[in-house]
Amino acid sequence: MTTTDRIERETLIAAPVERVWELVTAPEHVGVWFGDAGAEIDLRPGGAMALSWEEHGTVRARVERVEAPHVFAWRWASEMGAEPEEGGSTLVEFFLEPAERGTRLRVVESGFAALRLPADEQERRAEGNGDGWDHELRDLDGYARSQVAARS
Amino acid sequence: MTAPPADEVFAALADPTRWRVLTLLAERGDGTATTLAGELPVSRPAVIKHLAVLDRAGLVESRREGREVRFTVRPARLDATARRLADLAAAWDARLAAIKRLAEKDGP
Repeated sequence: MTTTDRIERETLIAAPVERVWELVTAPEHVGVWFGDAGAEIDLRPGGAMALSWEEHGTVRARVERVEAPHVFAWRWASEMGAEPEEGGSTLVEFFLEPAERGTRLRVVESGFAALRLPADEQERRAEGNGDGWDHELRDLDGYARSQVAARS
Repeated sequence: MTAPPADEVFAALADPTRWRVLTLLAERGDGTATTLAGELPVSRPAVIKHLAVLDRAGLVESRREGREVRFTVRPARLDATARRLADLAAAWDARLAAIKRLAEKDGP
Protein backbone atom coordinates (compact mmCIF):
# COMPACT_ATOMS: atom_id res chain seq x y z
CA MET A 1 0.00 0.00 0.00
CA THR A 2 1.00 3.58 -0.49
CA THR A 3 1.54 6.06 2.30
CA THR A 4 1.28 9.20 0.18
CA ASP A 5 -2.06 10.11 1.72
CA ARG A 6 -0.75 10.90 5.18
CA ILE A 7 1.88 12.92 7.02
CA GLU A 8 2.55 12.10 10.65
CA ARG A 9 4.98 13.99 12.90
CA GLU A 10 5.51 14.20 16.65
CA THR A 11 7.53 15.93 19.31
CA LEU A 12 8.13 15.65 23.06
CA ILE A 13 7.45 18.81 25.03
CA ALA A 14 8.58 19.48 28.60
CA ALA A 15 5.32 21.15 29.62
CA PRO A 16 1.96 19.95 30.94
CA VAL A 17 -0.68 18.69 28.52
CA GLU A 18 -2.95 21.60 29.49
CA ARG A 19 -0.34 24.16 28.44
CA VAL A 20 0.21 22.47 25.08
CA TRP A 21 -3.55 22.25 24.59
CA GLU A 22 -3.78 26.01 25.06
CA LEU A 23 -1.10 26.66 22.44
CA VAL A 24 -2.71 24.30 19.94
CA THR A 25 -6.30 25.56 20.34
CA ALA A 26 -6.24 29.23 21.38
CA PRO A 27 -6.60 31.57 18.38
CA GLU A 28 -4.16 34.13 19.82
CA HIS A 29 -1.43 31.47 19.62
CA VAL A 30 -2.53 29.59 16.49
CA GLY A 31 -2.86 32.88 14.62
CA VAL A 32 0.83 33.50 15.05
CA TRP A 33 2.58 30.13 14.84
CA PHE A 34 0.41 28.90 11.98
CA GLY A 35 -0.47 32.02 9.99
CA ASP A 36 0.83 35.54 10.49
CA ALA A 37 -2.38 37.57 10.48
CA GLY A 38 -4.45 35.98 13.23
CA ALA A 39 -6.87 33.09 13.56
CA GLU A 40 -10.48 32.58 14.54
CA ILE A 41 -11.51 29.34 16.20
CA ASP A 42 -14.99 28.42 17.36
CA LEU A 43 -13.78 25.61 19.59
CA ARG A 44 -16.53 23.01 19.20
CA PRO A 45 -17.27 20.29 16.64
CA GLY A 46 -18.58 21.94 13.48
CA GLY A 47 -17.25 25.32 14.63
CA ALA A 48 -15.79 27.65 12.01
CA MET A 49 -12.10 28.44 11.82
CA ALA A 50 -10.17 30.99 9.79
CA LEU A 51 -6.39 31.01 9.42
CA SER A 52 -4.95 34.20 7.95
CA TRP A 53 -1.76 35.31 6.26
CA GLU A 54 -0.92 38.94 5.49
CA GLU A 55 0.24 38.16 2.01
CA HIS A 56 -1.92 35.21 0.97
CA GLY A 57 -5.29 35.81 2.59
CA THR A 58 -7.48 33.57 4.67
CA VAL A 59 -7.98 29.82 4.64
CA ARG A 60 -11.23 28.51 6.05
CA ALA A 61 -11.35 25.43 8.25
CA ARG A 62 -13.92 23.55 10.29
CA VAL A 63 -13.43 22.01 13.71
CA GLU A 64 -14.03 18.25 13.62
CA ARG A 65 -13.11 16.99 17.11
CA VAL A 66 -12.56 18.70 20.45
CA GLU A 67 -11.70 16.33 23.29
CA ALA A 68 -9.85 18.54 25.76
CA PRO A 69 -7.02 18.21 26.45
CA HIS A 70 -6.18 15.22 24.25
CA VAL A 71 -7.65 15.48 20.74
CA PHE A 72 -8.18 18.49 18.48
CA ALA A 73 -8.95 18.00 14.80
CA TRP A 74 -9.89 20.33 11.98
CA ARG A 75 -10.36 20.17 8.25
CA TRP A 76 -8.87 23.02 6.23
CA ALA A 77 -9.64 24.04 2.68
CA SER A 78 -6.93 23.42 0.11
CA GLU A 79 -7.57 26.82 -1.43
CA MET A 80 -7.66 30.36 -0.12
CA GLY A 81 -11.24 31.50 0.37
CA ALA A 82 -12.84 28.10 -0.29
CA GLU A 83 -15.03 26.19 2.14
CA PRO A 84 -13.45 23.11 3.77
CA GLU A 85 -15.57 20.59 1.87
CA GLU A 86 -14.91 16.94 1.07
CA GLY A 87 -12.66 16.71 -1.97
CA GLY A 88 -11.22 20.17 -1.34
CA SER A 89 -9.70 19.88 2.10
CA THR A 90 -7.33 17.85 4.24
CA LEU A 91 -7.78 16.73 7.85
CA VAL A 92 -5.36 17.86 10.56
CA GLU A 93 -5.44 15.96 13.87
CA PHE A 94 -3.50 16.80 17.02
CA PHE A 95 -3.07 14.14 19.69
CA LEU A 96 -1.73 15.15 23.12
CA GLU A 97 -0.66 12.47 25.57
CA PRO A 98 1.09 12.67 28.93
CA ALA A 99 4.67 11.50 28.56
CA GLU A 100 7.63 11.30 30.87
CA ARG A 101 8.24 14.85 32.13
CA GLY A 102 5.73 16.41 29.81
CA THR A 103 3.60 15.89 26.73
CA ARG A 104 3.85 13.90 23.53
CA LEU A 105 2.32 16.02 20.73
CA ARG A 106 1.53 14.17 17.53
CA VAL A 107 0.06 15.70 14.37
CA VAL A 108 -1.42 13.81 11.42
CA GLU A 109 -2.47 15.48 8.17
CA SER A 110 -4.35 13.21 5.77
CA GLY A 111 -6.69 13.18 2.80
CA PHE A 112 -4.41 14.33 -0.02
CA ALA A 113 -5.66 11.55 -2.29
CA ALA A 114 -9.26 12.71 -1.92
CA LEU A 115 -8.45 16.16 -3.31
CA ARG A 116 -10.09 16.50 -6.67
CA LEU A 117 -9.93 19.68 -8.69
CA PRO A 118 -9.58 20.54 -12.36
CA ALA A 119 -6.01 20.01 -13.53
CA ASP A 120 -5.32 23.70 -14.26
CA GLU A 121 -6.58 24.61 -10.80
CA GLN A 122 -4.31 21.98 -9.28
CA GLU A 123 -1.40 23.36 -11.25
CA ARG A 124 -2.04 26.89 -10.04
CA ARG A 125 -2.52 25.80 -6.44
CA ALA A 126 0.52 23.53 -6.39
CA GLU A 127 2.63 26.52 -7.38
CA GLY A 128 0.92 28.81 -4.86
CA ASN A 129 1.32 26.28 -2.07
CA GLY A 130 5.02 26.03 -2.58
CA ASP A 131 5.38 29.74 -1.91
CA GLY A 132 3.02 29.54 1.04
CA TRP A 133 4.96 26.87 2.87
CA ASP A 134 8.21 28.76 2.49
CA HIS A 135 6.64 31.89 3.90
CA GLU A 136 5.13 29.92 6.75
CA LEU A 137 8.41 28.40 7.75
CA ARG A 138 10.05 31.81 7.88
CA ASP A 139 7.11 33.35 9.77
CA LEU A 140 7.11 30.58 12.31
CA ASP A 141 10.78 30.82 12.97
CA GLY A 142 10.56 34.58 13.42
CA TYR A 143 7.57 34.31 15.74
CA ALA A 144 9.20 31.64 17.89
CA ARG A 145 12.31 33.76 18.24
CA SER A 146 10.36 36.91 19.09
CA GLN A 147 8.37 35.03 21.73
CA VAL A 148 11.53 33.67 23.30
CA ALA A 149 13.10 37.12 23.24
CA ALA A 150 9.98 38.78 24.71
CA ARG A 151 9.86 36.36 27.63
CA SER A 152 13.56 36.29 28.38
CA MET B 1 9.43 23.48 -14.89
CA THR B 2 6.20 24.22 -13.05
CA ALA B 3 5.19 22.35 -9.92
CA PRO B 4 3.18 19.22 -10.68
CA PRO B 5 -0.49 18.95 -9.73
CA ALA B 6 0.53 16.67 -6.90
CA ASP B 7 -2.99 15.96 -5.69
CA GLU B 8 -3.70 14.15 -8.94
CA VAL B 9 -0.68 11.99 -8.19
CA PHE B 10 -1.94 11.25 -4.67
CA ALA B 11 -5.32 10.29 -6.09
CA ALA B 12 -3.73 8.10 -8.75
CA LEU B 13 -1.66 6.27 -6.16
CA ALA B 14 -4.45 5.84 -3.62
CA ASP B 15 -6.01 2.95 -5.57
CA PRO B 16 -4.37 -0.40 -4.69
CA THR B 17 -4.78 -1.81 -8.21
CA ARG B 18 -3.17 1.25 -9.80
CA TRP B 19 -0.38 0.98 -7.29
CA ARG B 20 0.12 -2.65 -8.40
CA VAL B 21 0.10 -1.59 -12.08
CA LEU B 22 2.79 1.00 -11.38
CA THR B 23 4.85 -1.44 -9.30
CA LEU B 24 4.67 -4.09 -12.02
CA LEU B 25 5.79 -1.59 -14.67
CA ALA B 26 8.69 -0.53 -12.44
CA GLU B 27 9.72 -4.17 -11.84
CA ARG B 28 9.38 -5.28 -15.45
CA GLY B 29 10.76 -2.13 -17.06
CA ASP B 30 7.67 -1.84 -19.26
CA GLY B 31 4.37 -3.53 -20.09
CA THR B 32 1.20 -3.49 -22.15
CA ALA B 33 -2.42 -3.66 -21.02
CA THR B 34 -2.41 -7.30 -22.09
CA THR B 35 0.71 -8.36 -20.17
CA LEU B 36 -0.40 -6.41 -17.09
CA ALA B 37 -3.89 -7.92 -17.15
CA GLY B 38 -2.21 -11.34 -17.28
CA GLU B 39 -0.58 -10.66 -13.91
CA LEU B 40 -3.46 -8.92 -12.14
CA PRO B 41 -6.91 -10.08 -11.03
CA VAL B 42 -8.60 -7.48 -13.23
CA SER B 43 -9.69 -7.35 -16.87
CA ARG B 44 -7.73 -5.77 -19.71
CA PRO B 45 -10.29 -2.93 -20.07
CA ALA B 46 -9.91 -2.21 -16.34
CA VAL B 47 -6.12 -2.12 -16.72
CA ILE B 48 -6.52 0.33 -19.63
CA LYS B 49 -8.60 2.64 -17.41
CA HIS B 50 -6.00 2.51 -14.65
CA LEU B 51 -3.22 3.23 -17.14
CA ALA B 52 -5.17 6.25 -18.40
CA VAL B 53 -5.38 7.66 -14.85
CA LEU B 54 -1.66 7.05 -14.30
CA ASP B 55 -0.94 8.69 -17.66
CA ARG B 56 -3.01 11.81 -16.80
CA ALA B 57 -1.14 12.08 -13.49
CA GLY B 58 2.13 11.99 -15.42
CA LEU B 59 3.23 8.77 -13.72
CA VAL B 60 3.62 6.68 -16.90
CA GLU B 61 4.33 7.31 -20.55
CA SER B 62 3.40 5.24 -23.56
CA ARG B 63 4.65 4.51 -27.04
CA ARG B 64 2.94 2.60 -29.81
CA GLU B 65 4.66 -0.56 -31.03
CA GLY B 66 2.75 -2.15 -33.89
CA ARG B 67 -0.67 -3.06 -32.53
CA GLU B 68 0.37 -2.66 -28.89
CA VAL B 69 0.84 0.36 -26.66
CA ARG B 70 3.80 -0.13 -24.37
CA PHE B 71 3.94 1.70 -21.01
CA THR B 72 6.92 2.71 -18.87
CA VAL B 73 7.19 4.53 -15.52
CA ARG B 74 8.03 8.26 -15.44
CA PRO B 75 9.91 8.71 -12.16
CA ALA B 76 10.06 12.54 -12.24
CA ARG B 77 6.47 13.02 -11.11
CA LEU B 78 6.83 10.53 -8.27
CA ASP B 79 10.01 12.25 -7.14
CA ALA B 80 8.25 15.62 -7.18
CA THR B 81 5.42 14.23 -5.08
CA ALA B 82 7.87 12.78 -2.60
CA ARG B 83 9.56 16.18 -2.36
CA ARG B 84 6.23 17.92 -1.80
CA LEU B 85 5.35 15.49 1.00
CA ALA B 86 8.78 16.12 2.53
CA ASP B 87 8.07 19.88 2.38
CA LEU B 88 4.71 19.43 4.08
CA ALA B 89 6.31 17.26 6.76
CA ALA B 90 9.06 19.85 7.29
CA ALA B 91 6.41 22.55 7.71
CA TRP B 92 4.76 20.50 10.46
CA ASP B 93 8.13 19.87 12.10
CA ALA B 94 8.70 23.62 12.21
CA ARG B 95 5.23 24.27 13.67
CA LEU B 96 5.66 21.58 16.32
CA ALA B 97 9.08 23.03 17.18
CA ALA B 98 7.51 26.47 17.64
CA ILE B 99 4.79 25.05 19.92
CA LYS B 100 7.49 23.22 21.89
CA ARG B 101 9.56 26.37 22.34
CA LEU B 102 6.54 28.38 23.46
CA ALA B 103 5.33 25.69 25.86
CA GLU B 104 8.72 25.13 27.43
CA LYS B 105 9.31 28.86 27.86
CA ASP B 106 6.64 28.74 30.58
CA GLY B 107 8.07 25.60 32.14
CA PRO B 108 9.03 25.09 35.77
